[in-house]
Amino acid sequence: MSETFELKGRSVVKGRAEGDALVADATLSFWGEVDAVTGKVIAVGHPLEGQSLQGRVLVIRSTKGSSGTPMTLNLAKLEGTAPAAFINVEVDSLAALGCIVNHIPMITDLERDPFTAIRTGDRVLVDAVDGFVRVTRRS
Amino acid sequence: MELTSEQKAILDGAQGPYLATCLGWLVEWGDVMGARRLIRVDNTHALLPVPNLMARGASKETIRQYVEGLREACRHRTAPGCYCTVHATFVTLDRIDVKENDPEQVRMQQEIADMAAEAGFIPTFTCAPYLVGNVPLKGEICAWTESSAVVYANSILGARTTRHGNESAIAASLLGVVPEFGVLLDENRKGTLRIEVSAELLTSTDWGALGYFAGKLAGLGIPVFNGVRRPSQDEAKQLCAALATSGGVSMCHIVGVTPEAPTLEAAFHGEAPSEFIPFTDATLREMYDSLRHRTGDEVDSVILGCPHASIREIAEIASMLKGKHVAEGLRLWVNAARATKAGSDAMGYTRVIEAAGGAILCDTCPTNMRIPARRIVTSGFKQAHYARGMVGAEVIVAGLEPCIRAALAGRWMGDE
Repeated sequence: MSETFELKGRSVVKGRAEGDALVADATLSFWGEVDAVTGKVIAVGHPLEGQSLQGRVLVIRSTKGSSGTPMTLNLAKLEGTAPAAFINVEVDSLAALGCIVNHIPMITDLERDPFTAIRTGDRVLVDAVDGFVRVTRRS
Repeated sequence: MELTSEQKAILDGAQGPYLATCLGWLVEWGDVMGARRLIRVDNTHALLPVPNLMARGASKETIRQYVEGLREACRHRTAPGCYCTVHATFVTLDRIDVKENDPEQVRMQQEIADMAAEAGFIPTFTCAPYLVGNVPLKGEICAWTESSAVVYANSILGARTTRHGNESAIAASLLGVVPEFGVLLDENRKGTLRIEVSAELLTSTDWGALGYFAGKLAGLGIPVFNGVRRPSQDEAKQLCAALATSGGVSMCHIVGVTPEAPTLEAAFHGEAPSEFIPFTDATLREMYDSLRHRTGDEVDSVILGCPHASIREIAEIASMLKGKHVAEGLRLWVNAARATKAGSDAMGYTRVIEAAGGAILCDTCPTNMRIPARRIVTSGFKQAHYARGMVGAEVIVAGLEPCIRAALAGRWMGDE
């Protein structure tokens, strides 16, 4: 059994991508808190500590911290460990830049709170061209 | 976004494919962030490091492609009249006996440094450009990488820069323009959160604690600090670095200090909120406790100069170390810009620090280099925050004096 629903949002960085959701109501710096080689979150005590971002639809509040975030996203993209797409509540200029340079779609302003609407492990299509996400819950 | 005919021509390749790509980044970035136009920038701080992923198993192709991107940037010239300095790297160009200073990476970084200089980038290799001559004036439009320096430029100097990444800062340096959004515009420099400081801030690291607290609450917003005295340059540096560690802050207002915030009302552009969040002595203590994770007292690494040390900090460190020696097997690092070390050499501070068994580390820092350690004592909240994950060390954040005591004893001796 699976349930599918769509949520409207505002496309930030255009593109379409699909992946398993990784959800945390948290902020994240890619430089210093993500290892570009493994694609894993290395920040001690972070809600996503130890989780791999590779191919995931990353649902977080926003990026924060280091200006090395676009660089780390670039290296992760080259290594094949980057997230597939971003769903953010607020748009940090650094995540936006990293997504533009590396062709990673980003969407924001979903019509429902993404932290309650989307669960880790849901299959999520991010359509940051037409401005919606399609969530398929696996149960 | 509105573009001039000259800008449209660059996008169409009139100045070659690389500058077309660079302008494309700036235009799309501007569109995404709500900019209406590109404006002139004549001060940048660019990020040109060779990544240190080799030791951790990155593919050679990743490094090759990334470094080729840096070479491509440096085959161009910085825009006429644009003052371009360069952020810290992941190795030191000095010869030091540390295996993490991988000779192959150093060779590539030296090649990039030489090419960058030829292109017009001044190889400052520092996270604190404002300590080595890049001191923009109030209102000056900048394009800076280094999150802590961005906060310092906006909040302490009254200059204007959004949070830049490597690609945007390179593009701005070569093209001399940035998209006008965020804190480049008056209306986006308004405070979003009022913090009343009743804690007594005695050391630079205490200011770091305040920043670490406020950054987490502010997120991408603009905290306003009321009730604090004027910080020293070193204290302001710690505040700004910590704000951009726990948060994604571009600027803060320190009432009475930030050039555009002579009063609380001015910081909020006329509508100071009555609600505020207190920062008390208890909050100060909690911030230290949040970055003190130790299962024992032995210390093998003490890291000072995050962000890079000023000459005053180095003088203070040297005076505390004079005639003494750090514990056997302990590494004491004082991170600084090369230009600051030149001053330290001239003043004799470097000799004192080296005689005590410490080292001044130029261009980078031990966490950037991923020098292993089991337990680190550091005066920087930023260093403590990132070292936990990046180096996998236990960390203790503390003021400069307890850091030096720990270095001499080889163990954590407490704050007093």
